[in-house]
Amino acid sequence: MAEKKLLLEHAHDPAYQTLAGYRAKGGYKALEKALSVDRQAIIDEVKASGLRGRGGAGFPTWIKWNGLPKEKTKPHYVVCNADEGEPGTFKDKQLMEETPFLLVEGMTLAGYATRSEVGYIYVRGEFLDAARACRKAIDEAYAAGLLGKNIMGKGFDYDLHIHTGAGSYECGEESALMSSLMGERGMPRLKFPHAPLPTVAGLWDLPTLINNVETYCCTPSIVDRGGEWYATMGASTKNSRGTKIFSVSGHVNKPGNYEIEFGTPLMELLEMAGGMKGGELKACVPGGSSVPIINKESCEKAILGYEEMGDVGSMVGSGGCIFLNDQTCIVSFIWRTSKFYAEESCGKCTPCREGTRWMEKVLERIVRGNGQPGDKQLLLDICSQIDGRSFCGLGDAAAWPVAGAIKVFPEEFDYFIEHGHSIVGSQMMREINPAFIKSGRTAKV
Amino acid sequence: MSDLIQLSNGQARPKAPRVEDLELKFSEQAVRQLDALRGHYPEAKACILPALWIAQREYGGWLPPEAIAEVAHRLGHSYAEVEGVATFYTMYNTDHPVGRHMIEVCTCLTCHMCGAYKIATYLQQKLGIGFGETTADGMFTLHEVECLDACDRAPVLQIGDEYVGPVDEARIDAILEELRKREDASVVKLADEIVRVHLMAGENN
Ligand SMILES: Cc1cc2nc3c(=O)[nH]c(=O)nc-3n(C[C@H](O)[C@H](O)[C@H](O)COP(=O)(O)O)c2cc1C
Ligand code: SF4
Ligand code: FES
Repeated sequence: MAEKKLLLEHAHDPAYQTLAGYRAKGGYKALEKALSVDRQAIIDEVKASGLRGRGGAGFPTWIKWNGLPKEKTKPHYVVCNADEGEPGTFKDKQLMEETPFLLVEGMTLAGYATRSEVGYIYVRGEFLDAARACRKAIDEAYAAGLLGKNIMGKGFDYDLHIHTGAGSYECGEESALMSSLMGERGMPRLKFPHAPLPTVAGLWDLPTLINNVETYCCTPSIVDRGGEWYATMGASTKNSRGTKIFSVSGHVNKPGNYEIEFGTPLMELLEMAGGMKGGELKACVPGGSSVPIINKESCEKAILGYEEMGDVGSMVGSGGCIFLNDQTCIVSFIWRTSKFYAEESCGKCTPCREGTRWMEKVLERIVRGNGQPGDKQLLLDICSQIDGRSFCGLGDAAAWPVAGAIKVFPEEFDYFIEHGHSIVGSQMMREINPAFIKSGRTAKV
Repeated sequence: MSDLIQLSNGQARPKAPRVEDLELKFSEQAVRQLDALRGHYPEAKACILPALWIAQREYGGWLPPEAIAEVAHRLGHSYAEVEGVATFYTMYNTDHPVGRHMIEVCTCLTCHMCGAYKIATYLQQKLGIGFGETTADGMFTLHEVECLDACDRAPVLQIGDEYVGPVDEARIDAILEELRKREDASVVKLADEIVRVHLMAGENN
């Protein structure tokens, strides 16, 4: 299989970033169609497409769209999760920068289908190019009557705003994102079943739809060409339909975003990205830093699909695919992963706040050559105390990569702890000034 | 500048100003922009984040306690609440003034695998400062950041509203030279650009 470009088909064409260019390629046909049919018909198309959320969890999109009240008694909101923060992922960035109208049209469709009047794109503060591209697209859409009052003369009113974050991975977690959008610290809220779903009580306790950038970008072609057509892609997999963008980085010759049909083998993705650089394939983190690492043998068996990746002990996640060559010290890689989670833990719940720092500390002493004999088991114990016991998904996401790496590469941990240096005679650790190991900008008073 | 409170860890942080001492500093443009933003949300509280961006621009790239107090005052919230928000997010500079250009080195996973710590060492040596520090001439502040989500360009830096990468030592020399010659302060430009993306075509004046 080769790349299958549905969202990225016109990505490199600057004209596509203008309304005229977007329309010339069939843009806004979906909205035109949608505004003249029943709202439920749109949701039915999304259902038929088998589209699952591209933000990481793979939740069926139509269930969310269908979950907002059908009898409207109060305002409804649509939110786009554009806080892309998962290490290894940079697909939403490209979509916003190069295909902003896909997102704007997708969010307008969602607004119509869910009877909403306002949408917010919550984009991470660092993504200025993406936010500027969306701003231009939104302004153009307003000027052409595709946003605002009485869209396309069909009596549908819908505003779309941009709201930026200010540096916090946790704000990608949907309830924390909503806290942040409402002007609070980016901490998560109580969730279902202990509290109503966001589709019932989200932003300002009102019905809210929240999806990822890529999820919204998929919807114009689904509405335009039909859910059944969309579902023909990925039909070889158990339950993954359509295309998915994978952000390939690490030790590859051509890092970048590659859009493939579900069912493509992982090794073909590696081939698209120009193959390995600087050494043979050793391991891969296929779906962003939160998913368990897999070794070469598993890579060779892995098929890109939600359930299929589960078969090799990992996940599709957000699609941030990091390939690592045989010069890589897995212990050092995992140390840096745990540092990320310790930095980004919001501090609300004890297992994650304390556990992530504890793991970082233990891994730090290992990479400094001071590992203790019981450290591997200690790390596993900490993982099991965080996993499933944290308030939000960040805790689980911090535990999985550590537990996963110890399971797949136990000998690397044993060796490092016993000998005080890496099993791989690589440069990597020598490059690190020990003063850096305990550093970080979030040491705020 | 307000008084300092000495903290037990040896650091000091500025004290919140008293309301009666507060001198409002937002420009007319800033006030107009804040007013436009209020129309985007059903509650004024949602303006806290964008208002802090306006303040970071108006106060020259960081948020002294006066800036936080001004945002609190203008939005009708308590100082503590706004300070709590400001200190949660890493892009608001609440601790001390920063240099004209903030260089943020990503050392996260992919960048680490691609030599980010070597780049970081080079920057530290070249500028003679550690992470979180500012050069004596007030030109540069150096920071380590988590994944900028541009891992295809690893190792990558963020400088103001731009990403630069992949970088090597030669590229860094060139970047520093360019920044030294630059007329505007990229930390202020970043805040201004962020404010602008919030505002619609008609509101941006
Ligand atoms: C710690 C954490 C970080 C997350 N970060 C993101 C993110 O950056 N972007 C995103 O779309 N979803 C992120 N998610 C997933 C969201 O909570 C949510 O599942 C997603 O926005 C739903 O959209 P979807 O159904 O379209 O995938 C994150 C989840 C957790 C627990
Ligand atoms: S798991 Fe707990 S501490 Fe960690 S980010 Fe979530 S709420 Fe915050
Ligand atoms: S790891 Fe540096 S940009 Fe992602």
